[in-house]
Amino acid sequence: MAEKSFETTSQACCSTSSESSPILALPMDTPLRKVLSRISGFASSWGKKTVTAPRGRRIFHRDVEQDEFQNGSAHCLSSYYSVFVARLAIMVMLAILIGLLTVLTWHFTRVYTTKSLNTLAYGLRYELLQRPILRMWNVLNSTSEITTAQVKLSEYVIKRYSKPTNQAELIELYQMMKDITWALFASHKALNAITINYRNGFVQAFHRDHRSNNTFYIYSDLANYSISDTQSSQQGWNDQFIHGNESAIWYRQPLDPVTGEKQGKPSQIPPEDLINIAGPSQVPDGVASWHVAVSKYTDSPLLSAALPVRDASNRSIVAIVGVTTALYSVGQLMKELVEVHSGYIYLTSQEGYLLATSTNTPLLNNTANGPKLMMATNSEDRVIRMGAQWLQKTYGNKFPPGHVVHVEKANLGGQHYYIDSFFLNLKRLPMVGVIIIPRKYIMGKVDERALKTLVILISASVCILVIGCVCILILTNGVSKEMKLRAELISHLDARRRAEASSNYKSQFLANMSHELRTPMAAVIGLLDILICDDCLTNEQYAMVTQIRKCSTALLRLLNNILDLSKVESGKLVLEEAEFDLGRELEGLVDMFSVQCINHNVETVLDLSDDIPKVVRGDSARVVQVFANLISNSIKFTTSGHIILRGWCENPIVSSDSGKLSPDQKNPLSALKTKLKQHGNHMKKASKKDNKMILWFEVDDTGCGIDPSKWESVFESFEQADPSTTRTHGGTGLGLCIVRTLVNKMGGEIKVVKKNGQGTLMRLFLLLSTPADGIEQQRRIDFAKHGVAVILALHGSMGRLIMSKWLSKNGVPTLEASEWNELTQILHELFHARTTNSGFDTHYSLAKPLRSKVQTLQDMKNPVYIIVVDLGLLDLSTDIWKEQLNFLDKFSGQVKFAWMLNHDTSNAIKMELRRKGHILMVNKPLYKAKMLHILEAVVKESYVEPPNGSPNGTKGTSKQGDSHECLEIDSSQFETCSSDDSDISEMTGANSASSVGVGEQLKEGTVLKSGPPTLRNCLVEFTRLGLEVNNLRTEEDQCNGRPKLHDTKDVKCENPDSSEQPSVRSNAKDRDNSYTTNKAANEQKTLEGLRILLAEDTPVLQRVATIMLEKMGAVVVAVGDGVQAVEALNCDLDRDENRTNRLQTEICDSPPYDLILMDCQMPMMDGYEATKAIRKSEERTGWHIPIVALTAHAMSSDKEKCLQVGMDAYLTKPIDYKLMVSTILSLTKRSP
Amino acid sequence: MDLVQLQRQLVDYRTSLYHEGFLDEQFTQLQELQDENNPDFVVEVVSLYFEDSERLLNELSKALEQQIIDFKRIDAHVHQFKGSSSSIGAQRVQRLCIVFRNYCEAQNVEGCLKCLQQVKHEYSIVKTKLESMFQLERQILNAGGSVPV
Repeated sequence: MAEKSFETTSQACCSTSSESSPILALPMDTPLRKVLSRISGFASSWGKKTVTAPRGRRIFHRDVEQDEFQNGSAHCLSSYYSVFVARLAIMVMLAILIGLLTVLTWHFTRVYTTKSLNTLAYGLRYELLQRPILRMWNVLNSTSEITTAQVKLSEYVIKRYSKPTNQAELIELYQMMKDITWALFASHKALNAITINYRNGFVQAFHRDHRSNNTFYIYSDLANYSISDTQSSQQGWNDQFIHGNESAIWYRQPLDPVTGEKQGKPSQIPPEDLINIAGPSQVPDGVASWHVAVSKYTDSPLLSAALPVRDASNRSIVAIVGVTTALYSVGQLMKELVEVHSGYIYLTSQEGYLLATSTNTPLLNNTANGPKLMMATNSEDRVIRMGAQWLQKTYGNKFPPGHVVHVEKANLGGQHYYIDSFFLNLKRLPMVGVIIIPRKYIMGKVDERALKTLVILISASVCILVIGCVCILILTNGVSKEMKLRAELISHLDARRRAEASSNYKSQFLANMSHELRTPMAAVIGLLDILICDDCLTNEQYAMVTQIRKCSTALLRLLNNILDLSKVESGKLVLEEAEFDLGRELEGLVDMFSVQCINHNVETVLDLSDDIPKVVRGDSARVVQVFANLISNSIKFTTSGHIILRGWCENPIVSSDSGKLSPDQKNPLSALKTKLKQHGNHMKKASKKDNKMILWFEVDDTGCGIDPSKWESVFESFEQADPSTTRTHGGTGLGLCIVRTLVNKMGGEIKVVKKNGQGTLMRLFLLLSTPADGIEQQRRIDFAKHGVAVILALHGSMGRLIMSKWLSKNGVPTLEASEWNELTQILHELFHARTTNSGFDTHYSLAKPLRSKVQTLQDMKNPVYIIVVDLGLLDLSTDIWKEQLNFLDKFSGQVKFAWMLNHDTSNAIKMELRRKGHILMVNKPLYKAKMLHILEAVVKESYVEPPNGSPNGTKGTSKQGDSHECLEIDSSQFETCSSDDSDISEMTGANSASSVGVGEQLKEGTVLKSGPPTLRNCLVEFTRLGLEVNNLRTEEDQCNGRPKLHDTKDVKCENPDSSEQPSVRSNAKDRDNSYTTNKAANEQKTLEGLRILLAEDTPVLQRVATIMLEKMGAVVVAVGDGVQAVEALNCDLDRDENRTNRLQTEICDSPPYDLILMDCQMPMMDGYEATKAIRKSEERTGWHIPIVALTAHAMSSDKEKCLQVGMDAYLTKPIDYKLMVSTILSLTKRSP
Repeated sequence: MDLVQLQRQLVDYRTSLYHEGFLDEQFTQLQELQDENNPDFVVEVVSLYFEDSERLLNELSKALEQQIIDFKRIDAHVHQFKGSSSSIGAQRVQRLCIVFRNYCEAQNVEGCLKCLQQVKHEYSIVKTKLESMFQLERQILNAGGSVPV
């Protein structure tokens, strides 16, 4: 049983351990793991708190802050500590678990075993005790039966021999009695004795000695008894009689125990020496009686019963029969029973006298008065004695009812015993049975096993614990490492987030700062412009101011760059989606940069393929910015050579056709293309839906180039290919970064591509959508049909090459000349050769291919020759150019000249050219659109020519003039933007200007679309009118040689003959004068006729300001506070209204005052309130009287406040004279 | 001879005023504004300034004697005083006014009182200086000369 339970226990343990280990090995998301991690987290946090609480934040920055070794080691310690604590916690938990399991298992098995054993043991004990008691009962029963039988027999015999009269009869009776008694005695072996005590004192008895196995017949001497005695003393028969009859002689005769034959002589014995003879005293009331007796010759107590024998009449007792049975057999039985169990049983009377025990110890006390019954407490047997004593001690005399006691753990002399007692309630002889069984016998094995089980369980659990701990150690090692890594990762992420946030803050800060800086910078530049316009500057001062302005624009450019960059970085840049003419924008850009390049001796070439859509959707400003940055970057590093901006469109069909590229560039391009193929494919899906196109561009220069290792990094911010370039070229390294971010934003990519030869090749593609109505087919005159031939006499070889290629592609034969001599040669070949029909001059020897080309030209039928002449071909340094012009004039009948002008071509040359009838003049550089215009103009002219007559008459047709104007304006318009300098910062200005141009151009384009080509001229006229002013001004600027001012307000024109100009001109003139007022204030009444309301509470200021204003001719009304000001205005308003009512015809739509100067701090009503009130009252009239704030607060917040309440400008006290005047003028100018 | 000396004295005196920082270019502007139409413009404005200033100073002293000092009012007064001082170019007074206003903002009674004393002092200096200058001018005019610019 115990073994089995142990097995289950160990199984349970095993199962728990085998269950727990896989759980531990499971991945992180098991709940146990969570608990573990939480515990360890708690432990670690606890550990941190206790050990390195202040350094907790830096705990995982070890690798970052390696210099903080101290810190690191502390962190190490703390982490070890925390891990240790975690492990300890887990182990303790495991230990508790296992210990609990063990104890519970042990306890339950043990309790169960003990309980079942106890029930069994109880049954056993009960059974054991029941048996001797039954035997006892049997003994008693048999004794009483025998007694009854003897009595009945005796009665029968005595009745038979009733009234024996003589001695013989009496003897016969006694003999008969002896026989039947013997029969009875012999048949019951267990009997100790049967006695018959007759009334006359005669006694007959049989006795059996169990020890010696002898049987005796005991009788008294007959001689002393008389018959009469028996009859006479019937009433006085008592014990005294018997006992007193000491004179009677007792005989004992041994008998054969089986047959009953006499075996010897009867011997005389003292009376009542051997046995108890039941006397009349034992049956006082004539019923059967029981008692326990002792005998001298037996060592066990005897049970004796007595019954009286009555005579026939049943009146008197004749004799008394006594039967004694030894209790020896009961003891024997008990011994047999408990011997196996090594226990003890004893029976006692109710009083406590021992009746029978399972031991051999004597039951009787030999005292001087003979043997006596012994108390159980005095038993010689130790165990019995102690048991009895224990019972007595425990219960005393108050036994529980029925004497039933079950004690499982009585400590008797150092040993545990079970003690149970039962009570046998017999009439006259109540008995108590007690059984004492050593506990060791029943439970000894169990206890022993339980101990063993416990030991085994504990050792097993200890083993499991150790194994578990090792497992935990191993597992947590991994876990703790992982946790450490995770924590490190988290801290890294955190650090990264923080870094990102700080970088975000940085860019926001940059954005804000640069925005904030831009405002004052704009003011600085504006003020400088004002200053530059001032007359009173000396040359030195002028130079200095110009320098300051340059620096300021440089600074502004930098600020703009930073702002752009941070805008893009912070994701605030939103690209516009508007249609714009890409070609136009790029042409304008090239125009602008070409001016700069000419100074650098660098050629700028625009090479756009024909398939590029005219109109695309996108953010034109940003696209232009991209190319402007790229080109300006190229210009910076290119000292000689060319810069080409190529563009083509990638169609899925013609994507492989890179014919327009020179073959040496083919390979890298195709490589790039395959690289970008997936990207392109990806785009294609989208492009089909949105009509998106991939436009490829290249910016190719012949500069110093970029080292291949820096091809990627040049696009990083503040990164420059060669740090030394900053010194030579300046710049911040932001340009390309902006380009890349913009390009990426537009769904494109940019990279530096390998290039053969010197220089850099940047290639990018943009993803731009085209308008949904499809790509407009470009209107094109088939020039080949018209038989046009072009001679390109241009300096720039690259541009010439590209142009001639394009022309020949379009079926226009071309000849090229790069210098004057070549041109003359060609001309000679073409014309003189034809006229003289032979080689005119031998020293004009043309190269073979050229000659063949000339030949093909000569083969053309009636060709229209166009010679595009670069003005640079002429020798402008001396007066030779006039002769050269005259030389060319000779051919003017046969060819048309188109002149390429430089941006700085002097007016004299232009005039001269115009005078000579060269009306086609185009500014450099030459690109397709310009070429087209030239061709169109020539072709048209050639068509118009015959009806009109002489095309080259001095008059010059207006149409031709228009067209040439158109061309010139076309280009000069861009020049306007770029003439100043080609700062990128000016790009915005340029953009706005160019977008105006685009607008016009678009307008033109739309009309063109609807109308026939002949309408073009009037359209040109239409555009001309608007642009003439612009043109004029540009020319003037150029004449003056001063930078043009962008702010229209500050435009300064000294040209007096511009009286036909719009009214703006006169205004500007006024202002010109105003700048000189401080020199000649008295003469100049700048504010003539202005009505000014002055609200100022300080009398001094009021007076000063009034005088100041009055001096300039203004009418000043001064009031002391805001209320007065409002009132003054209102009453005037009312008056005006009245007047309006009275004179319906007279429309008075001018306010009573032209301007209000308002002090901000005034009693009654301050300037802000007054302004609000005025603005409110103005609502009904619709006027807007300019209000200028006067305040001593020089804070910008005050300015904002002023502007917020509706003031228009802001002046600080003390009043600056000049500033006030300019402010007032700028404000009053607006109002009519 | 006397006239020339007087004129020189006036010019010297005026430059000394500029040098010592009692006046600034604002005063020059005032002088420039003076012409035939307003022959006594400077004197007029300055006497206006004196009147106004004395009123303001009185108000200030009164206001600062009060049990509960209304700093807002004082601030407004000082602001006005500052404005008028700067208008005539009395820059030392003006600067003191700025300090005064700072004390006002901080509600520092002691500082205000101290400043008031200083302002009064500076004002009296400027007043005497200007008055003596005007006296000189008047003498020149009486002598039949013209005030040099």
